[in-house]
Amino acid sequence: MRCLLLLAPVLLLSAQTPASAPVHKKGPPERKPSAMVQNYKETGSPSASIVIEEYADYECPHCAVTYRDLLPQIINEYVKTGKARLLHRDFPLPMHQFARQAAMLADAAGELGFYEVASAQIFKTQAEWSQNGNIEIQLAKVLPPGDMQKVREMVKSNPRLEESISKDVAMGQNVDRIEQTPTLVIVKNGVRQPIAPIPPFPVLKSFIDQTLAKK
Amino acid sequence: MKRALLLIGRLLLAGIFLYAGYAKLREPWANFAGSLFTLKLLPDDALEPIAKTLPWCEVALGVALLSGVWLRWFALIASLMLLLFLSVLTRSYVMGIAADCGCFGSGEVLGPMTLVRDSVMLLLGLAVTIGAFRMSSSGRHYA
Repeated sequence: MRCLLLLAPVLLLSAQTPASAPVHKKGPPERKPSAMVQNYKETGSPSASIVIEEYADYECPHCAVTYRDLLPQIINEYVKTGKARLLHRDFPLPMHQFARQAAMLADAAGELGFYEVASAQIFKTQAEWSQNGNIEIQLAKVLPPGDMQKVREMVKSNPRLEESISKDVAMGQNVDRIEQTPTLVIVKNGVRQPIAPIPPFPVLKSFIDQTLAKK
Repeated sequence: MKRALLLIGRLLLAGIFLYAGYAKLREPWANFAGSLFTLKLLPDDALEPIAKTLPWCEVALGVALLSGVWLRWFALIASLMLLLFLSVLTRSYVMGIAADCGCFGSGEVLGPMTLVRDSVMLLLGLAVTIGAFRMSSSGRHYA
């Protein structure tokens, strides 16, 4: 019950968003309508019976692999079919010096409607910017110049971004007891089941299917 | 004295197996499957059946050790299981695999202390097994 109560603000803020996979598309970046600015971290049907929450750190190599290999399978199997909603939660680990900055940039891009493009680029170029912290250079390659400038300004002056990350971290520490990233939390009827380490997709699928089958 | 030591050893061993099983069962089975996956030893098909059954086997073994019935044989099974766990974990550690031990639930990164702890548990298992066999051969029953 406590989980349901803590999750309530997230659920209240959520609105219907189209399912989409974190794939890298060619051409201009796709912008989502600004009306969805509050829930850019979420995809899938609001009537889905389960929510799959992913705690990730942009500087964590395993998170990049999960984003690249596992999330597209989850999206195809559960989000696009309306069975699940997918929610990203920022969980920058203290040992990763650029992770919080990366989350701020992704979230700022998200407020402008470019969350998926930004997340994909940040994870894709992780090996480069994790050496020197030059995340903005990588992000500027996929965002229009005007929006990139807005992202820079938002990171400097928008306290909501910091609050959003802090809320996710607090949720992870106090409710889900996150000890490592990536961690998936399968939520059904308010019951939260953190999964870490994440098993391969066929095993995870079996677990999610069993959770879906439960009443 | 020997009888008392055997009793203490048996109860400790039972407690270890009961807690190991309980710690896994209180988490979703997918967590232990994920831990097994990180060892890079088992085929994917084997992860779910092992993740679902091994914790119950540990609990059953813990209960059997607690009861003291057929102690020689249950202590021997416990020692063999501990030897198997230690071998698998040592293999992963030597190969430099960043594995999650999964011994007492998920979240424990495999390291030297894991191997030391599991070695101590194996020594305890062997001591109880040897003690139980000696006690049995000297005409006394289990502790």
